[in-house]
Amino acid sequence: MIGPRGRKKKGKATASGTMENEEHKYDLMLKDIWAKVRTKHFFPEMPNPTISDSMDRVAMETKSKQITLSQPFIEEAAKRLQPERVIEALLDHGVAHYTYCPWDFHTHLMLYQEAKKVLKDKEMAQKSTDYFMDVVADTHCFKEKETPISDLYCHMDRGILDEAIHALYQRIWGKDLSVQGYEEISRKLSRIPYLDRKPWPDSIRRFSKIIQGLLELEKKSGTLNQPSPMGQNDFGRYTEQELDQGLKEFAMSTGNPGSFSEVVTDFEEELQEAGFNTSSGMGFGPGSPLDADILFYMKLAENYSLPIKRTPIEKSGSLYPVSHSPWELGKPFRDIDPWTSFGKIMPAITQIWERREGDTFGEEEGTPNCIVAIDSSGSMTNPRQQLSYAVLGAACASDAYLRNDAKVAVYNFSDAQHGGRKTLDYTRHRKQIYQSVCHYFGGGTRLDIKDLDSLQEPSRPDIFIITDMQITNLEALISYLNGHENRVTAVHIGENRHVMQFKRSMGIRKNISIYSVQKKQDIPKIVLGKIREYFRSVS
Amino acid sequence: MINPFEDFREYPYKKKEIPLDRIVRAKEKIMDEIVEGYLKLVEEEVKDLVWLVEHSRLVRAYSAAIRTVEKLDYDIDDIEELCLELDREGRIPYLISGPAGIYLSALCNNAGEENIRLRLHELKRTFHFLGYRLPQGKTLILQGDVGDFIGAGLSGGKLVVEGSTGNWAGAGMMDGEIHITGHTGRNMGEWMGGGEIHVEGYIGGIGKSIRGGRIYQQGNLIRPYDRTTR
Amino acid sequence: MRERVRSIYEFIQDNLYLNRPDMTVGDKSFNSALLFSLLTALNRGKELIIGEPGLGKTTSAEYIAAMTYRLPLGLIWASEVSGHPEQTEEKIIGRPDLGRLNQGEEMVVWSYLAQLPIKIVDEINRLPETKQSMILDGVDRGNWEYLNDVIINEEYCLFATANYQDRGTNTLIAPLIDRFDVLVESRHPGPDLALVIGMKDKYENILRNPEYEREFQKVLLERRDYHEKMQLIEDLCDRFGDYMERELDLKMLSRAERKEIRGCMQGLPLDLDANAFLRTVISELSFCYKYGQKRSDEHCEEGCHYTGFLCHRIKNCISNRFPTSVRTYSQSLAWLAGDEGVGIEHVKAVLPYAMAHRVQWKDDYVSQKQVSNRRDPLQIYVAKEAAKEVSKRYNEQSQHIKNALAVAYQALSGKDLKPIEGDHPVYAEIKRDIEEVT
Repeated sequence: MIGPRGRKKKGKATASGTMENEEHKYDLMLKDIWAKVRTKHFFPEMPNPTISDSMDRVAMETKSKQITLSQPFIEEAAKRLQPERVIEALLDHGVAHYTYCPWDFHTHLMLYQEAKKVLKDKEMAQKSTDYFMDVVADTHCFKEKETPISDLYCHMDRGILDEAIHALYQRIWGKDLSVQGYEEISRKLSRIPYLDRKPWPDSIRRFSKIIQGLLELEKKSGTLNQPSPMGQNDFGRYTEQELDQGLKEFAMSTGNPGSFSEVVTDFEEELQEAGFNTSSGMGFGPGSPLDADILFYMKLAENYSLPIKRTPIEKSGSLYPVSHSPWELGKPFRDIDPWTSFGKIMPAITQIWERREGDTFGEEEGTPNCIVAIDSSGSMTNPRQQLSYAVLGAACASDAYLRNDAKVAVYNFSDAQHGGRKTLDYTRHRKQIYQSVCHYFGGGTRLDIKDLDSLQEPSRPDIFIITDMQITNLEALISYLNGHENRVTAVHIGENRHVMQFKRSMGIRKNISIYSVQKKQDIPKIVLGKIREYFRSVS
Repeated sequence: MINPFEDFREYPYKKKEIPLDRIVRAKEKIMDEIVEGYLKLVEEEVKDLVWLVEHSRLVRAYSAAIRTVEKLDYDIDDIEELCLELDREGRIPYLISGPAGIYLSALCNNAGEENIRLRLHELKRTFHFLGYRLPQGKTLILQGDVGDFIGAGLSGGKLVVEGSTGNWAGAGMMDGEIHITGHTGRNMGEWMGGGEIHVEGYIGGIGKSIRGGRIYQQGNLIRPYDRTTR
Repeated sequence: MRERVRSIYEFIQDNLYLNRPDMTVGDKSFNSALLFSLLTALNRGKELIIGEPGLGKTTSAEYIAAMTYRLPLGLIWASEVSGHPEQTEEKIIGRPDLGRLNQGEEMVVWSYLAQLPIKIVDEINRLPETKQSMILDGVDRGNWEYLNDVIINEEYCLFATANYQDRGTNTLIAPLIDRFDVLVESRHPGPDLALVIGMKDKYENILRNPEYEREFQKVLLERRDYHEKMQLIEDLCDRFGDYMERELDLKMLSRAERKEIRGCMQGLPLDLDANAFLRTVISELSFCYKYGQKRSDEHCEEGCHYTGFLCHRIKNCISNRFPTSVRTYSQSLAWLAGDEGVGIEHVKAVLPYAMAHRVQWKDDYVSQKQVSNRRDPLQIYVAKEAAKEVSKRYNEQSQHIKNALAVAYQALSGKDLKPIEGDHPVYAEIKRDIEEVT
């Protein structure tokens, strides 16, 4: 039997030549087996795995898709099973995690979220998620590929949970893994459709519920944090880009800042350890705690990216020869090209020039800066509790301007005269913009025109305003906008008489566009479309 | 006519099946039958979507349920899964607590296992009539709070509620034991003719027409009155 | 033969077209532009090379062409057509023999482009659309017509280069762009290799030989039957090839050898996984649950069951040239790698390059990918991401898909079998194939 949890104390060092030979032998073996495993799993895009002689707690680990196997583990397991089969089993396990479950970071977060709903404890939910993913990956491997995984598990030292899981394997694989007992728990666990991806959320909830008792037992005995023999499914396996993409997708699928931050806050440390950096201005780093709600809106807004503006082409007004076409009787002679006509005037030989108006660069439009004015009064949704379309829309607009090398200023207002206002001067610092946009006052609704005016620039920035129009001094706002030439995008949430008033007053203005938001899909689409138009034509 | 699948002529299309596939398939099949049974019961018994608690209706509903479940081959895991399905808004479009409880009771009473444990504390909804006519030799443990008429018509079995109950607990029970670790509602033990009810927590009210049996609260006999409790 | 082809690749990589490897097949690394150019030359393909100005788009094609077809570089330069608005049919395809025309006789003087097996069109997107249509036929079938005369190339390959969109460029018309087998980017080689390139004397070129070039031109200008001319050209190629072998210690390929290589390539079978995977990809690029197939003027509905698949993210329907391109290039790649058949690895390697220019992605999908960290240009990157997605789905249900295909064969052969159901367009398409026949 292998030592506890796959751990093995290193033996005494033999002569260095012998050790090098051993390493070389395993390296060669690994190379051959890796080629076989890659073919089996349809060539996943993973770097070549390595073997390490310094890992003795677990059989393997994966960091940024790179699998590293433990030489001590292999040597110990090789006492019962051929080393080639040990290596193949470990690689099958590692690759199946990449190609099947969890496949990506978003799936990992989703599974954890469901497990936590049942278990209500971070460590237990993590453990349950790890085991669930192991079961799915191993079962997929066992069913779909020729794999020696079951032979490896037969001789592995196990904790209580491992025994229960292997009892499950005995039942669902039909293979004897030398596990006794755990009848009830394995029976219940065997009813879960592990290989059907769609009900995974429901499946992991049931899985967690069934093993809850064992998890609590492990927690009491202090062994919950010990990694399973096959290694932990931590976030290190993902690249930074995968982490970023996963958070984007997770923000999109939860659609709720509360659910998102509940999960992401749990993993603040792990994300930092996995190397998720601060380049997106999210504020990771020493002394800078994660603001999960802001991160939610940042990631969600990234799902609605705008295309990059193109420099417009203008017509020059002059005609230039562009191509030839055959001359026909009745067409003017003056356009005949004598050279391509070989001096002949006859059909099929003579060619005339086709002329077209030339193109030239226009005056480069550039992208104006933008003042984002967002209403965070009590009638608006609190963005930290529920998805706020206003914040999402403002976030998309801000990102669009930032992406086009412009700056954004933010005016967040509630009852401005009683301190319910927050102004951010022009900046390209994304996190600061989001912090200002996400701030929620929840008070009355009265903006201070002077605040808005203080952000005006000679270059006439665009104004993007999002509100439900239930503003006490709406007339002042209307009058202000009427008196200025800035291009304005006004987005109102819902319909009410104030909106009608605003539309009546502003509808005739050519520099003002008004949009309504009734559902989540409206804001990003409208914002995208309108800004694209702005970028193409100068009014 | 060209066969575009010519390349797969020799491919052996018997797919590899592992026991998991058979288990899941069998489970899905039995669950479909159980759910179908429940929906049929509801359709027959709840014609106007209103279900009145009358003795004759109860008897009829229970008989219909027994007739359905007798034909099914299920186990306690299936019963627990039915509870989850009833709680979810998935393939069961509507939950009517009374018939649902009757149906669950029929399943429990007809199950092969003598000891049945149902984990109900995670569910959003509560069921009524659980433990209805639980027969002798059966033990039903309900983990979590439950609804009204728990253990109604108990017929010799042992019903344990690890939580609180609603009103009319033990109504009409004839024999057997009910143990409640939490509180009960009003009219507990109404029309009971025998058996015992043990309550650890607060009792909302005891039925007026008790013909037999005993009621204990925190180990003390409170019905029928003995000389010490009057 | 394989070793000689690999030697040609390595020679160009080490001496002429210095660049970084950017793809891996098996345990070998390749530069995609050079690899696909080589495969294009060998299997009579058509390649579109994009890139920033001055990064070797045209030169990579020229070197491959010279070394694979044993033509001196100067001749290839002379045969190139450059894309600019004033190109005429007479400059691209051929012109009347003016002397004979004055005598009342129509005789065509064919351009070098039309005659030679190597066709390089530089900056093709600068050709006006009318001229693009003009060379469509020639590009597609090797068929060149002028003044009721026609020559048909038995063996040819096309390399077209294009800069990114700028003031002077047009859009490549859809029928033309679909005819290209693959799209690759000729990238910046990095500052270190760029300096090495910069240190080279641009006038020194080992693939040039003015004497041979004159001989070739003399033959091409002769008024002679095209097939006779080509035989003479081949004889000259033999001599030039021998000369290059002495100079470079590198044996190039004769026409017969190229034909033999093509025979070997085409003989490589696709294994069942590669076959099934390709069907899976095609189904996602052509299927529409609501309208029967993808069409550019019909839009997807929100909430369609198949929103998770590529069919929801594209506007157009993939053409039938796509599987031909994938198959041909996969076979070429498998042959070059020394494998006995085409596996899924080869198909996965080729797929993005065959797909990048043919698929019109929806704006929102492209805009999501636009800001991702990447090394490829957006078109190729999006195609790679899409290929990865389909590969994942295939990995999950490969057995089921193969079963479905096997059952379909049996059903169409007359057995009473129901099509296998599954949650992917490929099952729907298989079912449709069965139901529409039975």
